[in-house]
Amino acid sequence: MKDNNRQHSAPSLFGLLRNYTGLIILLAVLTVIANGLSISVPKIISGAIDNYAKGNFVILNLIIEFSIIAVLIFVFTYLQNIVQVYASEKVARDLRNEISAKISVQPYAYIEKATPAKLLTNLTSDVDAVKTFVSMAVSSIISSVFIIIGVAVLLLITNWKLAIAVLVIMPFIGGAFFFILKKVRKLFIKSQEAIDWLNKVISESILGLALIRLLNSQNHEDKKFLSANTEAKKVSLEILGLFSSLIPVITFFTNIAMLTIVLLGGSFVISGSMTLGSFTAFSSYLAILIFPIIILGFVSNLIAQAEASYGRILNVLSAPVEKQSGSLKANLKGDVEVKNVSVCFADKWALKDVSFAVKAGSKTAIIGPTAAGKTQLLYLLTGLLEPTEGEILFDNVNVNDYNKESLHGQVGFVFQDSAMFNLTLRENIAFSNTVKDADIEKAIDTAELKDFVEALPEKLDTIISERGTSLSGGQKQRIMLARALALNPKILLLDDFTSRVDANTEKNILLNIEKNYPHLTLISVTQKISSIEHYNQIILLMEGELLAKGTHKQLMKTSPEYVQIFDSQRSTNELELSAEKL
Amino acid sequence: MNYSLTKTDIEKETQKGVLVTAWKRLVPLMTEEKRPVIISIIAILASSAVALAVPIIVARIVDVYIVGKNFHGVLMFSGLLAGIFIVGLFSNYIQIRTMGGVGRRLLFNLRSKIFVKLQELPVAFFNQNKAGDLISRINNDTDKLNQFFSQALMQFMSNIFLIIGTAIFIVFINFWLGIIALIPAVVALITTQLLNAWVKKTSLKSLQTLGAMSAEIQESINNFKVIVAFNRLDYFRNKFKEANQTNYSASVSAGIASNVFNPIYVLASTLAQLVVLAYGIYLISLGHFTVGLLIGFLLYVNNFYSPLRQLASVWSSLQLALAGLDRISEVLALESNVKILPKENETAETFSDHPTAILEFKNVSFGYVDGTDVLKNINFTLDKGKTYALVGPTGGGKTTTASLMARLYDPSKGVVYLEGKDIRFYEPNERVKKIGFILQEPFLFNGTVRENILYGNGDYDHFTNDELAKMLEKANLTKLLERFSDGLDTKIVSSGDAISLGQKQLIAFIRATLRSPDILILDEATANIDTVTEQLLGEIIDGLPAKTTKVIIAHRLNTIANADEIYFVNAGKITLAGSMQHAVQMLLHGKRKS
Repeated sequence: MKDNNRQHSAPSLFGLLRNYTGLIILLAVLTVIANGLSISVPKIISGAIDNYAKGNFVILNLIIEFSIIAVLIFVFTYLQNIVQVYASEKVARDLRNEISAKISVQPYAYIEKATPAKLLTNLTSDVDAVKTFVSMAVSSIISSVFIIIGVAVLLLITNWKLAIAVLVIMPFIGGAFFFILKKVRKLFIKSQEAIDWLNKVISESILGLALIRLLNSQNHEDKKFLSANTEAKKVSLEILGLFSSLIPVITFFTNIAMLTIVLLGGSFVISGSMTLGSFTAFSSYLAILIFPIIILGFVSNLIAQAEASYGRILNVLSAPVEKQSGSLKANLKGDVEVKNVSVCFADKWALKDVSFAVKAGSKTAIIGPTAAGKTQLLYLLTGLLEPTEGEILFDNVNVNDYNKESLHGQVGFVFQDSAMFNLTLRENIAFSNTVKDADIEKAIDTAELKDFVEALPEKLDTIISERGTSLSGGQKQRIMLARALALNPKILLLDDFTSRVDANTEKNILLNIEKNYPHLTLISVTQKISSIEHYNQIILLMEGELLAKGTHKQLMKTSPEYVQIFDSQRSTNELELSAEKL
Repeated sequence: MNYSLTKTDIEKETQKGVLVTAWKRLVPLMTEEKRPVIISIIAILASSAVALAVPIIVARIVDVYIVGKNFHGVLMFSGLLAGIFIVGLFSNYIQIRTMGGVGRRLLFNLRSKIFVKLQELPVAFFNQNKAGDLISRINNDTDKLNQFFSQALMQFMSNIFLIIGTAIFIVFINFWLGIIALIPAVVALITTQLLNAWVKKTSLKSLQTLGAMSAEIQESINNFKVIVAFNRLDYFRNKFKEANQTNYSASVSAGIASNVFNPIYVLASTLAQLVVLAYGIYLISLGHFTVGLLIGFLLYVNNFYSPLRQLASVWSSLQLALAGLDRISEVLALESNVKILPKENETAETFSDHPTAILEFKNVSFGYVDGTDVLKNINFTLDKGKTYALVGPTGGGKTTTASLMARLYDPSKGVVYLEGKDIRFYEPNERVKKIGFILQEPFLFNGTVRENILYGNGDYDHFTNDELAKMLEKANLTKLLERFSDGLDTKIVSSGDAISLGQKQLIAFIRATLRSPDILILDEATANIDTVTEQLLGEIIDGLPAKTTKVIIAHRLNTIANADEIYFVNAGKITLAGSMQHAVQMLLHGKRKS
């Protein structure tokens, strides 16, 4: 992307505009032309009045001149508005793309740390603030400054003494701006944080909606929302408190200037050092001057808000990307080695010094009680998690040396918790349009989804609802298996895959995998010993430590913990065996 | 019921006068704000009066005192001006402050209203709508209204006063000159009316695409790990780009549409000045008018048109606010179809023939939106204190059956009886006390283990950790709590991986059993818990009071080994399986029919 070389050192809004120099210049030119034409109107009026007083007034000239200017003002004002819309939307779009591009190269841990609620605010509300800045502030600032300078020059030309007396108000107005803007910035940051909070509460209330309804705890949620909403209101009222004084004060200063014109200008006219036409021009110009100054007051609000938001966006954009993916693109054989790996979460060890090796094409099971670190171990193998100590090797090469894309393309992972997208079933399985139909077909057959797909009204093109709400747990789990298998992976990682699938289906699926993907290296986290008795290796984890490894037979002899787990399942085994005999 | 918010009728009220519609829809929002609105109206009147008075005074100073070379008079009237300016300063401040407050409070109230409404709506609503779009409605659409109320509305009102006041003045000063000055404004107003529909339509479209984009973000970010692991970042980046691009195009169109007003009014303003100048000079040449009056008149024309121009720019924010209000009203207008039936409607039908049964399904059918029935004419009765197991292939309807028991949905046909009475007649808190449901996918809130265990359980809220520990001990739950390193104070990040699915299920289990419900439904609630711990859970369940009815859905057979009765759920039918062996046989050899 062209944006890669953007400098993020200076968190300035105007720095952001550097990439849109062309558009901004066009906008500036159009703004200046439109406003230049506008301020020529009083000049024409005062000229006409003076001409009339002198007796050389030609009505036709006035009408022609005036009409041309009126049409030109119309054309240029609209053009300016269009360019302004275009520029602001473009900046917003590019900024969003840039943020999403940045997020997408971040590791999973970053998203967890930054929290989805905040990233959502960054991409919507924060970008919106910047957009409003570009659409309203940029041209307003240009036109205001232009009008103020232009009017100032015209005032000076008309009568410099009176002009200076009028322009004395400017520093006061500038001071008022500076004072307010300095104070309000912090408040705007607070206000965006309140939006983060709102997003979080709403999002939790939607994700946990079934639970909330089961416990009839809507009131509790309403209260949580109320406190976030109250905070948002409080901050915005504080902001209002600061800004509500700004515009009246500015208007007051310009009114003082009006007073100066009447008093001083009046005395000049009386003393004969100024014409009545000039006096009129002065008061008309002041009327013109008031508007841009008030606009600046209004715009300063937008600037402060946009600056706060842009600062938050820059935080995302400037976050260091942890590690570049390696360059090795190789076809994996399927050997996996975990070497002295430890993982630490907030000074608690999730895994402690775990080592084991898996041969290509073999089957390994990971078993152990809840919170033993089984899932973390699989996350390590996919690179979702970085080991605090130790290393992971694929075919004797460190996982970090591999090109991530190439690695992810060969390692299939079936997550424990379901993740469905509001896409067609085909897209949910293939996740892209590049996967071959034959591969999808094979994956669906293997995951025993064929009947399910056949029963759907639109088959593979049926759209899955968000969060997969219309699917049963087992269906989701099998779709996720198909998703992993559609990659034609060399290594398949299953995280408690069998938990939501009935015994019969599970058995068929495992047979299908053996048949359809014969050379696959399988690493499976599971609770159920009966389905892994014939595996090449079983690893027993407990509280992050590797307690035992070996085949079922070996572990039955050497590991009392394994035997305990086995015993806890024996009644089931007998049941299943007896049922088979029936 | 169809809860889909995606189909909106854009065209519905664009034909009526926009101002009338706006008035009708916006005024009800302000009923609680009468006092501040009146205060701001007074302040606006004062500011407008100031703005109107200034040109008269200036014209008088020019015509009488400056032309008459009377500096004393100039001084006198300048003093008057200064006084008026001070009034303007305060009235301006009051107006901005109070009206801004109205906008903020309105934003606050609307947000709360939608959120409360979302809480009232049933699960089915959320199956049909996207989280991101709902968030966008709560945050973005309400903010459009706030912006209109706090910034635009006061401009709107003060400008309307100014415009009407000035119009009367100029017609009063010189009738024909006044009429001529107003003609361009009338033309511009008619043009505005003609363009309204276009602007409103594009505004609504742009808010819709914003909601869609927000939904896209929400989904991708929440499923980030899957996207990473499957290396589909590019795909989702492109999808986001597409949503972003759609929003961009819609917003550009909306911008081009809503920006058309400003130039039109600028044109009207310029033309008005031209005709006034030309006709005014003609009048002066006839001796019917003076230069001083013409200067004053031109000031008035300016005073008339510049608020009109501002009104034009405010106009688009009114359109945007109305579009936002439409999207908000769509949500607010929805009614839950899982309603509590009033006591008066109780009839013989309301009560079942099995008054002693804890739960009964009578001729129950159920289907999700416009799909086929998931459950077909189901009948069964559950007795107090027994343990029931529901087994069957995935997608057979087990979770749906359990959801109907807990009234997450209402059956499309038939009745569910709870303790002999139609479940629809129970007040929610009454019903919820009787039914504990451990969901297939446990949900935890960010916070601590304690907060999550006590979530929705007011009974123990005030307990200290020690007292709570005693309660847990009594319920045999202490051993489970030991699985958490910091006990009750263990921190929970619901989306994070520091806590495993098994641990989440443990918390959900503790949460439900601590409430000691009459019916405890476990929907694969222990699927990710190891078998040794599961045995422990089994003991805890056995230790529940004898009257507790247990409904267990599980794939692991040892989980259901102790069931009194086993139901086999498949293809929308529920059959009694008889013995455990029979159930296992059905499970292992039964063909799935879908």
